[in-house]
This record gives sequence, structure tokens and C-alpha cells, in this order.
Amino acid sequence: MISLGTRAAPAASPFTPEQQKRFDDGFEKAVAKYPSERRRAALLPVLHLAQDELGWLPDTAMAYVGHRLDVPPVRVREVVTFYTMYHLRPVGRHHIGICNSISCWAMGAEKILDGCAQKLGIRPGQTTSDGHFSLEEVTCLASCGTAPAVLVNNFTFVESVTNDSMSKLIDELRGKPGQSMAPGAAPEKEHQP
Amino acid sequence: MKILSVDWDKPNSWTLDTYKASGGYAALPKALQMKPQAIVDEVVKSNLRGRGGAGFPTGMKWNFVRKETSFPKYLVVNADEGEPGTFKDRECLLRSPHMFVEGLVIGCFAIDCHLTYVYCRGEFRDSAMARLQTAVDEAYANGYAGKNILGSGFDLEIRCVFGAGAYICGEETALLESLEGRKGYPRLKPPFPANAGGGLFKQPTAVNNVETLANLPVIINLGGDEYSKIGLVPKNGGTRLYAVSGHVKKPGVYEAPMGINFKNLLEQYAGGMREGSTLKAIIPGGSSSAIMTAEEAVWASDFDTLKAKKTMAGSGAVVYLDQTVNMAHALANVMRFYAHESCGQCTPCREGTAWLSRLCDKIVAGKGEKTDVDNIHQISRQMEQKTICALADGAAMPAKSYIEKFRVDFDALVRGLWKRFSFISSPSASSRRVRRSSCGAIPSTARCLWLAASSFSPASIFCSPRI
Repeated sequence: MISLGTRAAPAASPFTPEQQKRFDDGFEKAVAKYPSERRRAALLPVLHLAQDELGWLPDTAMAYVGHRLDVPPVRVREVVTFYTMYHLRPVGRHHIGICNSISCWAMGAEKILDGCAQKLGIRPGQTTSDGHFSLEEVTCLASCGTAPAVLVNNFTFVESVTNDSMSKLIDELRGKPGQSMAPGAAPEKEHQP
Repeated sequence: MKILSVDWDKPNSWTLDTYKASGGYAALPKALQMKPQAIVDEVVKSNLRGRGGAGFPTGMKWNFVRKETSFPKYLVVNADEGEPGTFKDRECLLRSPHMFVEGLVIGCFAIDCHLTYVYCRGEFRDSAMARLQTAVDEAYANGYAGKNILGSGFDLEIRCVFGAGAYICGEETALLESLEGRKGYPRLKPPFPANAGGGLFKQPTAVNNVETLANLPVIINLGGDEYSKIGLVPKNGGTRLYAVSGHVKKPGVYEAPMGINFKNLLEQYAGGMREGSTLKAIIPGGSSSAIMTAEEAVWASDFDTLKAKKTMAGSGAVVYLDQTVNMAHALANVMRFYAHESCGQCTPCREGTAWLSRLCDKIVAGKGEKTDVDNIHQISRQMEQKTICALADGAAMPAKSYIEKFRVDFDALVRGLWKRFSFISSPSASSRRVRRSSCGAIPSTARCLWLAASSFSPASIFCSPRI
């Protein structure tokens, strides 16, 4: 169910008590960065907090964030769909983004992308059937001097990669639990650009 | 010449101790003794131009903000670095965040701002922004920020925030929208951010780039006139951090006097082209700038020269491309970026970038026709100057110039010739989109002859029909 109301509405928390505590701590810090009458401005960081806990942003999380910040659900959704770092559906526990903008492309990013796709058996935009990895082609990561560059789980830079180093990285990540995903809609089979 | 990057190669260059050892935080007490207007006057004299891309004189921008009578005023730092090819701000924040923090405090003092936001791109949260936050915390602990800075009675709160992945948020009004918790739609101007009603929370706001502010301690220490003389070209003061990437031996960020020519930048700093490469094209200021040919490498890299040459110095991101690249492939890559990053607010941009991307992809796939190349040129002409922000112009400028300067590459693809010779000059993996032809082994001299002849003779003389 997608709630697209134009008025802020109460919503239940999608978090476990443990997650709730971390979320509340972060929430206070995020809101404190803005003047008190402008607390709605904290929408982006608070959505990041929710995604850090759940791995993606289900409707329940969006509704809850809107409720906490007094932002109408439609405005929350507008923001979530606009920015590429928010995931609207579960991704892999390790999300690999490979930069394919001009400098990385010139240094062979497409080979890296092809290599990873082959190793994981998925195409960019897809998630492996065990839910462990998802692959994405991303735009410039501001790491052009060490191209090709890769971003793992939205925040970790891996630079000057080769097909061999990527292969090693994937094997390494396979042994790690990664970010657990909140249950939700099955990952989409085909990426629709 | 190392002024901004003087500490960069030292171990732990990001710590307060390293920065202070090389004379850091000496400019701040000096600046706090000056009148704010005197600082702005120094910046005007220094000919410091905004390093984010537009090259707007920083002193002039600050004078606009100072003239406003509405309070509070804000200074917002644009650290949403995302222009393909650009990575100088990230290096700045990673390697010498204190220099930036010092400049930020001086800047805020100059425009009478007591609350400043540093908007980093979301991807930087755990790397560059984490390091900046540490530096800011250290600055607070040592009295360089917070209440009553160094006993001067000036208060300043520095807040670091981060976005969520959108190139358009590097546009200053889109950045302000994003900072206010909305999607990053650029605002209609006027009112400009510097005026009341146009800035953050509708207050007068100066939006400055990270590198611009990192120059402030230098200007205070040297004086505006002295700083201005460092630049090689009039009205372009100081040094600039050039982010050099592409097919060069030593890619990286190099500090050079503003206005160094591209040939010297390549040879003296980046070690020349990599083994077996000859220079074919230069992207002078991030992917939005019009492309330059190898012969044009003697142009100076300052804002005014390049503007006169119908390209731009942009963000100082210089990408050198070699002979293996077919410029149509490169354009297809650049256009895919703009089609992806167009925010969708204005129709000419939303539709135009998507059309350009589709047409380029068609040409790269070997299905292009001559009219497609002409159409790209025409569409890009119709996109210019018709939108709220400059993203459409940023897509149109490369589209036009790639075709004007490298038409032969496009024609080679349209006529089914490039793939035939791609064994000689394989444009890395992008050839995966191009089906290779069965007849391959034509010597390279024949290729040169053919490319020379291709503009005159029909394709069918030498080759089988287009695939």
C-alpha cells in the first residue's frame, strides 16, 4: 500500500526496539543541525538513518519518517524517488556500484562491469538469487584519478580496480554477512531504466 | 607551485598538528582583527574566481551578500562534487581539511554569517565527510570555531550535512533545495541566492566551493595583490587544483598557477600520455565543457580564455583522451550521464538529454545514419539557454563540440568503418556494443588512407554495406 496523502499522518514504527534506539539517537542529532523551526529540512539525513537500519526504504519506513518530521507522505516519496542512494526495493546485502562516467569509462570500467556481471551471474540493476549481491552502474564518484572506481554499500570507495581485484573483493564480501534487509517485495528481475 | 597542496604528501596530512606545523591557522587571528569589509576588499583584489565551475568572482558575490540588510545570512559550502572528471574537492577534504575549515571561518566572518552548512555529496559520508567532521571537531576544541572564536567575540556554528546522490544538487539553488529537505529542483532566478528571498531558508546566502574557501587563508597571508599575481592571466588569481585523469601516466590532482596551458599541465605535472598513447582530445573542465583537439592544447586554462574559445574552465577537471577513443563512444557515455542526471523539471532538458543519449547509442551500435549526427547537433542547439539551470547547456556544449571537432569519428561509425578497425584502436570494452565485422585485417596505413578518403567517397567502394 502506498500512502500518498498530502498531510502528515501518524504511522507505526517499522523498527525493532534495538533499531529504534539507534534511529532515535541519530534522529535527535540530525534534527539538531537545523534551526528548530526548520526541522523538516532533516528529511534527507533521517531517511538515510532509516535505510541504514532496514537496508532499503519500505513504504512503512517512509510513512514513519514523514510522521516523525511532520512531512506529508507525498513529499517523502518525492524525495526518496529523486535521489539515487535511496533504495525503493531490497537490494543485495552487498551492493556494488561501478562508476561508468567518462574517466572510469576511458580506463575500462565497462570491462569491470562485464566481469562482475559475469562473476555474479546478474546484469546491472539486478540482485543475485541468494540476495547476497546486487550490481549497479553508477555515475561519477569523484574518484577519477584512481579510475576505475567502485562504491560498495553506498559509502565505501574501492579504487583503481581491475577484474582480478574485483573478483577477490567479491569473494571476500561473500564471506561477510553484510547489511540485512527488511523483508519486503521481491527484488525486481529486470532493471527498468 | 604548492600553496593549497603543500601538506598533501606528508604523513597524516589531515591532522591539526601537521597543518599548524606548516603555518596553519595563522591567517585566522589576522583576519579576525580586520574589518569584514576589508577582507572582502582583499578578496576582490585577489581576483579569486569561484572554483566550482562558473568562475564567478568570489569577492563580488560576497559584496552582494553584505549589501543585504536581512539577517541571518548564511554561507553554504558546495562539496557535492559530481561532475565527471572532477575529484579535487574530495582530495582537499581528505588531505587538508583544516585549510578549508580555516578559510570557511574567515569567509563566514567576512559576510557576517554565524551558521554555515557544508553540503557534502552522500557518497562521501564515511570518507571525506568523516575526515572533515573530525577536523571541525578539532577546530571547535581549539577555539577556531564555536563561541567567541579566539577571543574576538565572533560566533560560528559549522554543520556538515550530506546529500543522497544527485548530480543536480551541485547546482547552487538545487543544493539549497536539497539542504531544506526537498528534491533537488533548481530554483528560478532571480532572486539569486545572494539576495533576500533566494537563499537558504529565503535568507541571503553565499554558496561557495570547497577549493575557493581553502584559498582564503592564503589571500589573508599574502594579501590580495600578491595572490592575484600568482595567476598567469589577468583577472584569474592564484593557483588552481587541476584534477587530471584519463590516459595519462600519473593521474591525480595537481596544483598549478591559474592559466597554465594544457600541454604544460600534461607534460610537467601528469608525466605525459601513457605508453603507446598519443593525445587525441582534451576535456578541459569536466564533462560539461566543450571538447578540445590535441592542437588546441596550447590554450591557457583560465576562465576567460576558454570562455572566449567557446568552451569553459569549469571545475578544473582535465581529462586527456588518446587515439583509442572514438569520440562518438565518448559522447554516448557523456550523454548517458546527462540523460540519467537531468532532474526532469524543464522539458528541453528532460527530453533533449534523453534524445541525445538515444541517438548517440544508436550511432555507437552501428545503426546510425548521417541525419542522426545532424540531429544531435540540431537538438543540442535547441536546448541551450532554454532551461532554469545550466545542466541542459552542459549537455548541449559537448554534444555540439564533439561533432564539430570530431565529425570523422561519427562518420566512421555511421559508415560502419570504426568497428572494422577496432582491432587497431579498440575503444576498451565499449566495443561490446558494436558487432565486429568479419573482415578485419587491414593494415593501419590503409586505415589512415581510408579515414582520409571517407569524407569524400561512398562507403560501398571499400567495404561491405553497413551492418
